[in-house]
Amino acid sequence: MKLIKQRTDSSNYLSNFLGFPTRVVILILALIMVLFPFYWLITNAFKVEQEYFASPPVVFPTIITFQNFIDAVVKYEMFKGLVNSVLIAVGTTVTTSLFGSMAAYSLINGALPKRIKGVLASWFLVQKMYPAIVVAVPVFYIIRTLGLMDSITALVIMNTSFNLPLVILLMIGFYQEAPYEVEEQSMLDGCSLVQRYLYVTTPMVKSGLIATGMLTFVYSWNEFLYAVILTVNKAKPLTVIIAGFITDKGLIWGPMAAMGCVIVFPVLIIMWLMQRDFISGISAGALKG
Amino acid sequence: MLISRSISHDRADKIYSWLFLLPVFVILLIAAFIPLGYGFGLSFFKYKLNLQQSPLFVGLENYIDLFRDELFMQSLKNNIAFALMSVAIEIVIGIIIAMLLSDDNSFSRIATTFLLIPMIIAPVASGTLWKMMLDRTYGIVNYLLSFVGLPAVSWLADFRIAIYTIVFVDAWQFIPFVAILVLSSIKSIPKSFLDAARVDGASPLKVFTRIVLPITAPVIIIVAMVRFIDAFKVFDTIFVMTQGGPGNATEMLPTYIYRQGIKFLKVGYSSATAILFITVMSLIAWQFIRLRSKQLRRVG
Repeated sequence: MKLIKQRTDSSNYLSNFLGFPTRVVILILALIMVLFPFYWLITNAFKVEQEYFASPPVVFPTIITFQNFIDAVVKYEMFKGLVNSVLIAVGTTVTTSLFGSMAAYSLINGALPKRIKGVLASWFLVQKMYPAIVVAVPVFYIIRTLGLMDSITALVIMNTSFNLPLVILLMIGFYQEAPYEVEEQSMLDGCSLVQRYLYVTTPMVKSGLIATGMLTFVYSWNEFLYAVILTVNKAKPLTVIIAGFITDKGLIWGPMAAMGCVIVFPVLIIMWLMQRDFISGISAGALKG
Repeated sequence: MLISRSISHDRADKIYSWLFLLPVFVILLIAAFIPLGYGFGLSFFKYKLNLQQSPLFVGLENYIDLFRDELFMQSLKNNIAFALMSVAIEIVIGIIIAMLLSDDNSFSRIATTFLLIPMIIAPVASGTLWKMMLDRTYGIVNYLLSFVGLPAVSWLADFRIAIYTIVFVDAWQFIPFVAILVLSSIKSIPKSFLDAARVDGASPLKVFTRIVLPITAPVIIIVAMVRFIDAFKVFDTIFVMTQGGPGNATEMLPTYIYRQGIKFLKVGYSSATAILFITVMSLIAWQFIRLRSKQLRRVG
């Protein structure tokens, strides 16, 4: 008990390094900076037009309306965008989790030459860092030639390639932590590599796989660059449609805010569920390799 | 980092091991290798997709033209300025926030959770959000600033200010990223170090500069480099907020490549830009990986 108290004291000491009042002021300011924009987004989504186009702006809306959401669906293709976003994100998550875990499993427990493992691991690291824009023009051209323009498939392929390196790196870590004795035992029992991957080792790292999958879901849900390059009309996800508000239709803030809520909300729920895994996933992505 | 696990594998295992890697190779071939090679080839041709003419081999002309292209030089300058400013701000404020959140009480934990929000929502969404708030006439920011007597500012339409606005939005998004990573590094400092310093009567600020900073330095350097490299990938925010304008005040390399290649369909020219871009980025990334493995060895 005493030990715990001492520990807390020490860390308090650190967090008050600018003095207690300064600490409180800065943290409250930081929280307002983070949270107020979301208050603004949500209230704008429910404001009537006279209130979101008002000068001075209306901070506390007096009339609440759902019209913006209805408009977003009826006039601005929000439902289509939502379906596309879900298909792209789910498709990417499934393919990336499957292919990524297979590759990671093979690198850790498979029968590959040692040198190959090192080369691949460092190559994934490089792949993770290079800017996606550099292949944009050739990809645009190749996808056009393949007749995959404006298709969900094209976006799933591209998003899978962006997310694979991170998933492989994270899954390598999880497979390494899984007890090898079980793997060995099932090997002696005559299980093939495929059986061990499917029934023995992957079930042991299930929670890791789910966390990585969630991360992939969020990244491909948020993806914009390739979505805007490779879609014309029918495969447009929400991110492209909301960007279109600004470039084509001027500022129609109500429906735009409504759509913003729909883009942000699922991500917030996932984050709430997976906080800890998120932090470790993101930091591993930045620090490990 | 890859611990080799050796036990006798049979033939089938060896075949399956390679088969398990196959899908990854196929995807990366389609989405990375072939486009990269193709782009490299195209960069030596004069080729516009919208004209009905076959590609014309021009050797290095595209590359030479790049350096005569004022818009390219402008984008390069903007991008470097943007990268330096945003990284500096994000690192300094990120470290401060991390320090302030380094205790274990429930307030800090809840605040940490809220801080995660800007960095995980779609950059397109945060761009839209800030565009709404920063509007000159209807935006809340100018309204709030009017209370302290500041005149209305055209945050995105004034060519002298727009780039700083982009830096601000980028900082809003990624300060949490820096803070979270530095925070986990601060928490890994052995408590005995801090206790010893405290018993010796060191001031908190001294503990910060003499203990916390040196121990977390490797992580801070890595995070700074990750952010620096990422600053050259900035696209979504600019696309939504300024489209590279006003004038070309916020045009950066990714938006420049996008405009040349996808909007104007100058395939050869934009490929040359992309190849030059990735060459420079690889050099930076290579230095970064070397530095990082050195730093990680220090972290242990």
